[in-house]
Amino acid sequence: MTLAMIAGVGMTKFGKQAERSIEDIGREALVHALKDAGIARQRIEEMFCGSSYGGPLIGQRILRDLGMTGIPITNVENACSSGAAALREACWAVKVGRADTIAVLGVEKLTQLGGGTLPLEPTDVEVNLGNVMPAVYAMRARRYMYETGATVRHLAMIAVKAHEYGACNPNAQFQNRITVDEVMHSRMVADPLTLYMCCPTGDGAAAVIVTSERRAREFGAKPARIEASVLQSGLYKTGFRDMASSELTERTSRLAYEAAGIGPQDVSLAEVHDAFASAELMYYEALGLCGKGEGAAMIERGDSGRGGRQPVNPSGGLACRGHPVGATGVAQIVEAVWQLRGEAGERQVPGAKVALTHCTGGGISGLDHGACAVHVLTS
Amino acid sequence: MNDGAVYFPASRPWIEQGSAVRLIGSKCAHCRAVAFPPHPLCPACGAESGQDAVQLSPVGTLYTFSEIHIAPIGFATPYAVGYVDLPEGVRLFGQIESRAADLRLGQQVAVTLGPVRTDASGRMVVSYKFKGLP
Repeated sequence: MTLAMIAGVGMTKFGKQAERSIEDIGREALVHALKDAGIARQRIEEMFCGSSYGGPLIGQRILRDLGMTGIPITNVENACSSGAAALREACWAVKVGRADTIAVLGVEKLTQLGGGTLPLEPTDVEVNLGNVMPAVYAMRARRYMYETGATVRHLAMIAVKAHEYGACNPNAQFQNRITVDEVMHSRMVADPLTLYMCCPTGDGAAAVIVTSERRAREFGAKPARIEASVLQSGLYKTGFRDMASSELTERTSRLAYEAAGIGPQDVSLAEVHDAFASAELMYYEALGLCGKGEGAAMIERGDSGRGGRQPVNPSGGLACRGHPVGATGVAQIVEAVWQLRGEAGERQVPGAKVALTHCTGGGISGLDHGACAVHVLTS
Repeated sequence: MNDGAVYFPASRPWIEQGSAVRLIGSKCAHCRAVAFPPHPLCPACGAESGQDAVQLSPVGTLYTFSEIHIAPIGFATPYAVGYVDLPEGVRLFGQIESRAADLRLGQQVAVTLGPVRTDASGRMVVSYKFKGLP
């Protein structure tokens, strides 16, 4: 099997763009990625489009305006992992030799939903009884703090770190710095999570061009290698589960490390699904970046911050770059490629060689999460 | 209770014994796994029959909780929610009739019935909930 590579990347600025259509937002990201790869639209043989709230035929609606219709277009919905799941389909289509050049787009316009917490599936038992995404994470956070001794202050430190990086990312929704006190005293969303510990609502798109190793050499930009592309779903359990750890993220990342032939210690930087500050702490552990119960120590030491041993979310993460749901998984790849090329400007991780991206989520009763995708990229 | 109210789930899988409320789940005759709400197929072993009705304990242990301050239309904020472990090996999500400040992990809570929200027509929706025990 051939290796799948990323030959071009592009994204829009993330944030509230209520005046634009979702098609317009998606088109901008795709055009950026095509230009970055230095290829004509006619070279694209297939397209995968990830979106959770974009509606029917979102990929066709975007390609129509670019005169790129006729090719196979597959729309992928997998909640927060929609974009990452779309990328996985493209990787495997290249690896098995079905196509040589594929466009992957993640796109979302959350401002059309009117704000507040994300609308969830009305047939779900917990949703009927009043569960919302911030509470899903808040309840895990409380159990995690109870079992590990981590405190609300540690959650605030995660948010402060995210803002320090966001301030260095011109595509981020939030580019301001904040303090621990400001985070802790922002308004309560779901106890113990305050507003600045929660990712914002926003719009945006990100796109990548996936090619075979052979074809990548013909394109302009310096390609990145996709060493692993793994997707898993949560296990359904009616009984007890350990909510202070993420079995799904542990399982998915273990498969990705095996596929890439590396371990957590080899990761130069990670883009992690920090939908809520507490989740980032728990994912340090699930991804093996630190030991069990050592998430709080990792943020205290500054290991995951600027100048740290293994920076996490140099883009600002979901907290500051923003989280237009279906776009996030692809935006993580865009950041990873910029870092591997040494093009990340002020937020560049020095000497980045291996980047891991982790995208999970989807609130569904009885499951850890709906889906989880982990990718490993190298320069 | 609550004339004019609607119930969730509509099948009302519970019985009232004096002040105690017992939820009715299903127990697989093959692998003994218990589920709530009752499942037609066993989610643990996949058995397509033998899912027998089983009464669940009226008291459980609070595994974790939160207090929600931003919620969809129909829910009156703030309200406490949590996961409660029943001795039969079932974990339930539900609202708790207490302020978060009065709750602690590991405490005993009792199953009760009460309003959880109003629906799109403005009718009260009644379901199972929990209340903290001293």
